[in-house]
Amino acid sequence: MEAVLEFFTDATGSASFLSIYSSVLRVAMPVLALFIVLRCAKSLLGFRREPEIWAWMRLATGELIPVTHWENVLGRKKSADIVLDFATVSKSHAVLTRHDDGSWTIRDVGARGHVQVNGRQVIETKVNYGDTLSLGGLEMTLEPISNEEALLQNLGRTKAGKGNSPGMTLVLLTLFQGMALLALSFNMGQEHLMQFLMAFGELAALEWLLFIGQKIIRRSGFELETVAFFLMTIGLCVTGTSAPGELQKQMIAACMGVALFLTIGLCLRSLDTAKKVRYVAAVFGVLLLLVNLVFGKELYGAKNWIMIGGFSFQPSELVKICFIFAGASTMERIVTKRNLILFIIYAGFVCACLAVMRDFGTALIFFSCFLVIAYLRSGSYATIALMVAVVGFGAVLAIRFFPYITARFSNWGHIWEDPLGKGYQQTKALMCAAAGGLFGLGFGNGWLKYVAAANTDLVFALTCEEGGLILAVLMVAALAVLGMFVVRSAKVGRSSFYTISACAAMSIMTVQAILNVFGTVDFLPLTGVTFPFVSNGGSSMIASWGLLAFLKACDTRQNASFAVKLSSKQRKRGKEAAA
Amino acid sequence: MNDISKRTYFALALAGILLFGIAAFVVRFFLYSDRWVTFSGSPHVYSSGNLNTGVVYDRSGLQLLDTEDGRTYAADSSTRRATVHLLGDREGNIPSQILSHYASTLVGYDKLSGTNHSSGTGELRLTVSAQVQAIALQALNGQKGTVGVYNYKTGEILCAVSSPSMDPDNPPQTVDDASGLYVYRMFHASYTPGSIYKLVTAQAAMETISDIETRAFTCTGSTVINGETITCPKAHGQLDFKQALASSCNCTFAHIALEVGARKLSEVSERIGVTDSFEFDGLYTKAGQFDLSGADDNALAWAGVGQYTDLVNPFQFMRYMGAVANGGSAAEPYLVAQAVNNGSVKYRAHTAMTGELIDERSAAKLQQMMRYNVEAIYGTWNFPDVQVCAKSGTAETGGGSNTATFAGFVLDSSYPLAFIVVVEEGGAGSSTCAPIAGTVLQACINLMDGER
Repeated sequence: MEAVLEFFTDATGSASFLSIYSSVLRVAMPVLALFIVLRCAKSLLGFRREPEIWAWMRLATGELIPVTHWENVLGRKKSADIVLDFATVSKSHAVLTRHDDGSWTIRDVGARGHVQVNGRQVIETKVNYGDTLSLGGLEMTLEPISNEEALLQNLGRTKAGKGNSPGMTLVLLTLFQGMALLALSFNMGQEHLMQFLMAFGELAALEWLLFIGQKIIRRSGFELETVAFFLMTIGLCVTGTSAPGELQKQMIAACMGVALFLTIGLCLRSLDTAKKVRYVAAVFGVLLLLVNLVFGKELYGAKNWIMIGGFSFQPSELVKICFIFAGASTMERIVTKRNLILFIIYAGFVCACLAVMRDFGTALIFFSCFLVIAYLRSGSYATIALMVAVVGFGAVLAIRFFPYITARFSNWGHIWEDPLGKGYQQTKALMCAAAGGLFGLGFGNGWLKYVAAANTDLVFALTCEEGGLILAVLMVAALAVLGMFVVRSAKVGRSSFYTISACAAMSIMTVQAILNVFGTVDFLPLTGVTFPFVSNGGSSMIASWGLLAFLKACDTRQNASFAVKLSSKQRKRGKEAAA
Repeated sequence: MNDISKRTYFALALAGILLFGIAAFVVRFFLYSDRWVTFSGSPHVYSSGNLNTGVVYDRSGLQLLDTEDGRTYAADSSTRRATVHLLGDREGNIPSQILSHYASTLVGYDKLSGTNHSSGTGELRLTVSAQVQAIALQALNGQKGTVGVYNYKTGEILCAVSSPSMDPDNPPQTVDDASGLYVYRMFHASYTPGSIYKLVTAQAAMETISDIETRAFTCTGSTVINGETITCPKAHGQLDFKQALASSCNCTFAHIALEVGARKLSEVSERIGVTDSFEFDGLYTKAGQFDLSGADDNALAWAGVGQYTDLVNPFQFMRYMGAVANGGSAAEPYLVAQAVNNGSVKYRAHTAMTGELIDERSAAKLQQMMRYNVEAIYGTWNFPDVQVCAKSGTAETGGGSNTATFAGFVLDSSYPLAFIVVVEEGGAGSSTCAPIAGTVLQACINLMDGER
């Protein structure tokens, strides 16, 4: 340790070293970041979507149809998962569901021709392999996938991380973190050296522990975490330059976040558990908000903080996770209970609570997430348009009648007219962003850090200033990659519960990024929303990791995710259950 | 499940919005970042409220301003007073638009490396001569007005002084609003031109009336147009075109204006730039006015002699004079010769030509007529060494006060100078302004001789 300290002391005292650093590393950091993001993007967006086959459906004609999801709509329509193009079959006739223990059930979804199992008309019943199913008179049987077929499938599917080793990407990321550490240490002086060494050391330990832990349980997909750790590195730089004393708090939050990430991820492994947690989470979310309403403290203009033993904490951040649990749903429920009334009431309650706390930015995030969930569940543009219209109308009224919001909107697009008053934060943000150029002034060298909320609301500009435009764009692009990955993997999703919750989580993160970045650059009014993983703030960090767990649970690439059970094990259990 | 997976594309729209917005920001960054970084109060290039652009020199290499550490102006008070409108003051009452315009160049900002290499000081070299400006300011003798001189072959503005002025190192405690102390009159004021506008009417006449140069006119001292009288100070009697201009005969030019017509007069006014605002070196000049919409014949007649609602900006009229002198088109005037950062020239002025403001033949004729003005009326003793062509004006601005105007040029390829002098409440144009023009032109000629 002392040797390290000595090295830094020598290096920071040497002017020539600093000048070499500034010319070489300043360019090297964005380039390395580009490689990291590209490698992650290539893995996450370029993987072949190879379906998992869970069973076969044999029609009376002898035709074999693969059953590729845990929840399958059987019907005449083209978009059905098992298309039965016969006149007597309804468009959506039944839902065939696979359970955690490997057993199957079939559910009539109100079809004309009814569903019969072994000749008995049923609404919902268990299906054993070999049972004769009859949908509108069309007969078929569910057949298991044989051991050889399962083995072939496992061998045939591309393992996650193949060709673009996540370990290598993590090595690059660690190198990137080393450069960031050097930058901060050189530019900020020796006073904060220990704080930087500690924080970056902990970060490296955390990411490698997580990586190795997952290797041990034979999971090789680490791109989602790598993106998160990449963003966190920028976050540490941003916090390091502006408030080095808060680095430790930020790392503690990160550890808590990773713990939450693992907990939610493990809980999502089993759909039955997840469905049970759903109700607990929904109630917990309501309680959190009520506690917040009663004991809330007003900080920075919104009453959404509570103080526990000297620590300030934002409960609304954790409500995001509860909200997703409340909104996610399995296919069977979606098809049978078409209305969204309960969820609409829940969402309305959450948004109303946030409005009372005057946290309109977060309310907007929840509303966007609600729209995404509502559309995924209903598929109806008309419903979405109606809801947007109603809320838009309400928003116009709110802008008109609440002076606090009116003030924010009056400044929107006019920041240069009042650069010392209402436009202060944003004009300074743009001045400093411009000063950074493409490669930045080096972390620790900026000026924007002296502006209020620079390391939360203005992180995009702060990154532009000190890290350069390229790095700032990569920071946003990395988040967008996560979003695109969710959509891409939806096609091979096991259950709609996972797909919906992953979509909801990614829309929360994306909307946060939109409000944060666009607020800084005056495309939107400044709402004081955090950028996931980057902005300084413990609650936000914990919640971001919690949200990432939902993305992890939709990653069905072979051996990719700890939050997804290996399909081979799943089948084994299925066999045992059948026996 | 297929339905759900298709619907997820809806959520993709959010990622799309995010990426689209970032792309839009990147575009804005490349378009505007130099403006952002040099905006007033930008932390990386400002210190103690002033832009740290570096040092400003005049054409002779005299240091006018060092922007570091709260601005150091020239040591000499008369130089400071003569150049403050170009440089701006510390309090920002007089904005330093030229410095702001070249700020990003001077601080060494570039979009690639930001302000990383901006440690070196910038150097801005102006085309004006502080010495000539000081002489001009002294010649104005505290009267409100402006003197402009520029080289119509190269475009360099040698003198652009505005009076009253102030010493930035010793600013006045109280400022009379009516004085217009903070206004840069050369570029940001417009005046009723008075008789110098007869040059424009004469140009329009030569372009429309083929026998105008051979016609004879009779002035009885007044003429009635549309029921209202237009008068001359005295009856000029028999006149030809040249004599009418030299005598500045209102009656004759009123009838010429009527014959030329509103449309043609407006067209020529627009062509020579009276109604335009010019933008160069960060300055936006004030547009003049020539508006005959809804005007009757009497108004047209008055407009033709530079009254009615006519307004011209000194800069734009000086530019017009340059074009007449140079045979139809002249170099576009400019103020900044070059901008340097860290020893390397980042900007160097280039001579650009105006379009044809007046055809060559009419320009030649106008030159002769304006030379005749000087010989016959204003007196060549005001301009002993060189051949000056000019026209004076005494604009009635109401309330009994007149704006004295005097515009013209030197017809000499060694000293290709066009000029304008405006003195508010200045009485008769030629007697007030001609000596000022003479003094300033002589200073310019001495300067040019010295530079050879």
